[in-house]
Amino acid sequence: MSSTRVISVDFECRIPRKLEEALEALNEEGSQVLAGGTDLLNNIKINAVKPSRLVYVLGIPELEFISVEGGRLIVGAAALLSDIEHNRQVVSRFPALVEAINVIGGTQIRNMATLAGNLCNASPGADTPPILFVLDAEVEICWTNGGTGAQRSRLPVGGFFTGPKKTVLKQGQIVHSVSIPLPPEHSGAAFRRLARVSLDIAKINCAAYIERDGDTVHEARIALGSVAPTPVRAPTIEKALDGRRYGGGLFQEAAELVEEDIAPIDDVRSTAEYRRQIASLLVREALQEAWRRSGGKG
Amino acid sequence: MKTAITLNVNGKEYPLEVKANEILLNVLRDRLGLMGTKYGCGIGECGDCTVLLDGKAILSCQSLAFTADGKKITTIEGLEHNGSLHPLQQAFIDEGAVQCGYCTPGMILSAKALLDTKPDPSDQEIKQAIRGNFCRCTGYTNIIRAIKTASEKIKDQGRKQT
Repeated sequence: MSSTRVISVDFECRIPRKLEEALEALNEEGSQVLAGGTDLLNNIKINAVKPSRLVYVLGIPELEFISVEGGRLIVGAAALLSDIEHNRQVVSRFPALVEAINVIGGTQIRNMATLAGNLCNASPGADTPPILFVLDAEVEICWTNGGTGAQRSRLPVGGFFTGPKKTVLKQGQIVHSVSIPLPPEHSGAAFRRLARVSLDIAKINCAAYIERDGDTVHEARIALGSVAPTPVRAPTIEKALDGRRYGGGLFQEAAELVEEDIAPIDDVRSTAEYRRQIASLLVREALQEAWRRSGGKG
Repeated sequence: MKTAITLNVNGKEYPLEVKANEILLNVLRDRLGLMGTKYGCGIGECGDCTVLLDGKAILSCQSLAFTADGKKITTIEGLEHNGSLHPLQQAFIDEGAVQCGYCTPGMILSAKALLDTKPDPSDQEIKQAIRGNFCRCTGYTNIIRAIKTASEKIKDQGRKQT
């Protein structure tokens, strides 16, 4: 039976105090990670997920941090979205990441949910992947083989998603942290999204990043969400901007190539046709704002 | 299998044994008898089940009770002090910010979390703070005015006390 009032499926819980303990518990078949629970509990309520054990990872000190070290911002898997969006380093260096986080749910959701959770839920329309893509973020995964401590490996966020609601994570593996290189001077990033009402999940979203060399685009990265089975980069646009001088409708021209890079579908939130038509406008706006933030004139 | 937890609700400690799948909202309502917190959509969209967890607004219908172990929970019942209403409660009455009343507890708690950190919020900040609380009687204008009125009252009280 499915109900949003009570949870009918029975499971047990583990509240580990240390990462190692959590990883060991997660190696057992039927175990699932519980962080903020804002997606997982809904999935359990509608019987889309039937865990036999939930391993609660919020409050594990090794995962609960936001720091800047070695030229990177590192966000632990248990850091809440609201802590990230109010963190001074994040606010001053990653305004576009703050914008992408700020549109996720209401205040309550952001007081509960995590950045790692937004990635692990792997919704094609999630709001943080596009900006993490263009900022060259990496996801650090951890697991244990038992008795050997926590094993870790890092991969680019672009390689993390394998399909709608699917990631590279295997049973026993969790996200440890997300790290983002501090942006260089003369760079800028921006985030844009469209939704029916402000609290809605996006019909489409997009992020752009530009590294500027005088009045030339030294490097551009663009990514979009809700236009393909996973969030995607837009390599055709990126190539079209590489080394080009700003002006003469450059961004509009490049943004119109977006159709080469996306494969939207009709769903409850929008149509493929609308998404195709509006994508270039969002990309152009994001590029313009990224250019402005990089210090570029015009 | 049950887990022993202690919930601190409105300053009172409740030692409880909960099943892992028990939702915080249901524990508050059905086991502690605190009916002020409402069940609305059950999927984290309407904000009716909002309570404060260590001072922050969260959704009690999206929280498993065991995750609140040892934390301080404030529900709408915890706002009145020695028999007098909290300035937010009074302002909601005075400004006519209540119609059917179903969203009111969550709305007031979201507003309290805001005023506790930003005593003098702008309209924009108020709108942002209650974005996760739906009112379907279209009372937003009065609600925003009530929160403003309460913020002024709280500031006045602060001035008198110092």
